[in-house]
Amino acid sequence: MNQTTSPNFPDDADNAQQALAGEYVLGTLSREERQAVDALLGSNPALRAAVDAWQQRLLPLVSLVEPVAPSERLWQRIERSLDHADAAAKVSPAPARAAPRSVPWWRDFQSLALWRGLTAGGFALATLLAAVLVLKVAAPLPGTRYMVVLVAPQDRSPGWVMQTSSDRKIELIPLGAMEIPADKALELWTKADDWNAPISLGLVKPGERVQVPLDRIPGVQPNQLFELTLEPPTGSPTGRPTGPIHFIGRSVKVS
Amino acid sequence: MSVHFDDFDYEATLLACAAGERAAMQRLYEQEAGRLFGVVRRIVRDAALAEDVLHDACVNIWTRAASFDPARGSARGWIYSVARNLALNARRDDLREADVPHEALQAIDDQASLAAWEAVSRSDQWADSAGRVSHCLAELEPVRRDCIMYAYVEGLSQKEIAARVEAPLGTVKAWIQRSLVALRACMS
Repeated sequence: MNQTTSPNFPDDADNAQQALAGEYVLGTLSREERQAVDALLGSNPALRAAVDAWQQRLLPLVSLVEPVAPSERLWQRIERSLDHADAAAKVSPAPARAAPRSVPWWRDFQSLALWRGLTAGGFALATLLAAVLVLKVAAPLPGTRYMVVLVAPQDRSPGWVMQTSSDRKIELIPLGAMEIPADKALELWTKADDWNAPISLGLVKPGERVQVPLDRIPGVQPNQLFELTLEPPTGSPTGRPTGPIHFIGRSVKVS
Repeated sequence: MSVHFDDFDYEATLLACAAGERAAMQRLYEQEAGRLFGVVRRIVRDAALAEDVLHDACVNIWTRAASFDPARGSARGWIYSVARNLALNARRDDLREADVPHEALQAIDDQASLAAWEAVSRSDQWADSAGRVSHCLAELEPVRRDCIMYAYVEGLSQKEIAARVEAPLGTVKAWIQRSLVALRACMS
């Protein structure tokens, strides 16, 4: 089991988040970038706090805008909509949140549904976010060739960004704090299309930036799968993923 | 004109909305609809669309009032963030990408905007209510301050700002990022 190290966190990630939050509030992000941030806000308390702070900082600027009266009819229209909203809320209480996926990664792997899902919508969004964070805000290290955005399987919210920092190392960057059960550990796995089985890249600590050596695998190739699963504290006893997926993504060539 | 916002208890009003008091929502509307509409209309640049956005914002404020958390910021800030988010998401690309320096921007009165900045930034009321952002914006180079104002107040894209200030897009992007860093440092 590779033990990974965790140097120089959190300055880069913090600066990247601050820049992203500032531009989000300022309104200069593209539509896709805005959507990526919106998707992140629910699951990333640090980014949300940064956005909150920017909103408060810039709020006084609204006093530069002269008030303009909307049409007289608008309030009646709003009242009707509020009536509808109240009636709808009584009829259908908010649906309970879906239970976390508990099917082991390996057993679920053949179904392909999850991977297809990742390439529609959610993964595209996550890739965009990574482009924002890694390419736009914190320029990639020279020689960076691949990037992976690891998203939660339930709601596709991005949790980690990975980038190759050399042929022999990949850097795993958390997008926020996260908690796992005290008696569990996060284990990183990877599998290229033509491999028979996933290979463990070692344990990682939640919320900590790490450099992961790639000495157990030939390297990174396009569309290679990366996974974080919840395992016993010393890692999977079987050499294969046994616990539920926490985050999952595929590598994308970026340069 | 409505009372100055310092005299209006936004937080209590929002909490009353969360409790289902329709009269509180109406008070909030009467208090803030004009400014909200002004802000939204600047961003979406179309009166009918701005009314749709303000409508949606009010419905959002009403249905999501219970999710407002005073620990995360002021109630007035929350209200504006709901409205500005909807407005920014409603910006129409076809309006935005049109010949920037001529057509679309004629709707926005440059001189009035700058005059407002000049007048408001000198007034005591602005200094009180704007606090540090006023002081910190004043420390930015004028062209960089304009970039921030065009983005936040006018809802211009970076491309539009670049056309407006007649600078390359890459330069404008760098100015905005550095200005944000400077503002954050100045206001911390």
